[in-house]
Amino acid sequence: MDGLMAFWAETGIAHFTPGQMLMMAVGGLLLYLAIVRGFEPLLLLPIGFGAVLANIPHAGFTEEGGMLYYAYHVGIETGVFPLLIFMGVGALTDFGALIANPKTLLLGAAAQFGIFATLIGAIALNLVPGFEFSMKDAAAIAIIGGADGPTAIFLASKLAPELLGAIAVAAYSYMALVPIIQPPIMRLLTTQAEREIKMEQLREVSKKEKVIFPLMVLGLTILFLPAATPLVGMFCLGNLMRESGVVDRLSKTAQNELINIVTIFLGLAVGSKLSAAQFLRQETLGILLLGAVAFGIGTATGVLMAKLMCKLSGGKVNPLIGAAGVSAVPMAARVVNKVGLEANQHNYLLMHAMGPNVAGVLGSAVAAGILLAVLG
Amino acid sequence: MTSLTQQLVDALGIMVLGMGLVFLFLGILILGVELVARCLSRANEASTPSMSEQPMPALDSRLVAAISSAVHQYRASA
Repeated sequence: MDGLMAFWAETGIAHFTPGQMLMMAVGGLLLYLAIVRGFEPLLLLPIGFGAVLANIPHAGFTEEGGMLYYAYHVGIETGVFPLLIFMGVGALTDFGALIANPKTLLLGAAAQFGIFATLIGAIALNLVPGFEFSMKDAAAIAIIGGADGPTAIFLASKLAPELLGAIAVAAYSYMALVPIIQPPIMRLLTTQAEREIKMEQLREVSKKEKVIFPLMVLGLTILFLPAATPLVGMFCLGNLMRESGVVDRLSKTAQNELINIVTIFLGLAVGSKLSAAQFLRQETLGILLLGAVAFGIGTATGVLMAKLMCKLSGGKVNPLIGAAGVSAVPMAARVVNKVGLEANQHNYLLMHAMGPNVAGVLGSAVAAGILLAVLG
Repeated sequence: MTSLTQQLVDALGIMVLGMGLVFLFLGILILGVELVARCLSRANEASTPSMSEQPMPALDSRLVAAISSAVHQYRASA
């Protein structure tokens, strides 16, 4: 009988707290979204599973000595995982469309307004009783508007580690929801005639230009914004490996094996932050709300900037491509293409939208660097 | 309450500063990209004549037939 009691005392059933059950349900929901609905499965699946593992009573995954504890400690607290992912993203990114039409960098810049507007929103939310976001918290939340997972995780790990779980989940969930959030805003701000605008074919970009580009970006970052060099530097390294053509093996590894391995551990480590004590709070609701607002504003300002460029260029720019200025590569560009095709069946905007799309990645890395420099 | 107003003013300052810097940074990048494109296209114009097209030597049709039959046999045996 004593043996049975001892066994019972060690079961999960005897030790579940309501918070843990709820967080396991949240993990289950993320798994459902990843597997059944196909929302960002590469990240939501490990995050969801990590959330389940982290809330098992008496398993000790997230305590010192547990695997998730070390995954977080080694990879996220230090910022290493998001930076390795950024290198992989750099190796996956083709800047050709951007180099052919560099003015689209302005769209990537305009869409970052979502980040800075949300900064004010997060502070204003302190008016509601129960919210007490510091400026650092607000900045970490605002970066969700950059629609770039690794950047959001990197900044949150530096500025507001206690909010990291909620911020990462919000960032990746909204990136998955890009096809739902963006089109209504895009349609609202543009006319049918504007959506039908066809854009000139992009010129061919030489290999030399593609090799010089990451070096130039790095050079500018070194001169003006050293705080952004971890992000931009790793990104440029990945891109240079891709474009130089002399280290195909490294480039392929960064694009495939390395980014995949890191994604597994990054997901698990983020999931381990989804414990009841850290996630089931009023702040989480605020973060989810602010994240959606940030995303919406970023899309809107991108489209408005593109409208301005359309006016100035005499109708050569389709305003829809501004929506791709929030990063979320390549989902946002695909959404632009889809909305463009709805307006005009023969209007393929995908390549034109890739320019602002990759500009958005640079823009949000620069914005993160600025926030780090000012607040870090 | 005053501290909140102060925070909001700070946030507004960061917003103006941040957007300004983002535009400045990416604006300089635009200039850089255009400069590189212009320099390279000028360099290319000078060097293009050397890249004149060389007509491919016509392949012997019997050789082509021999190679393709060898490939077929190899694939069939593999």
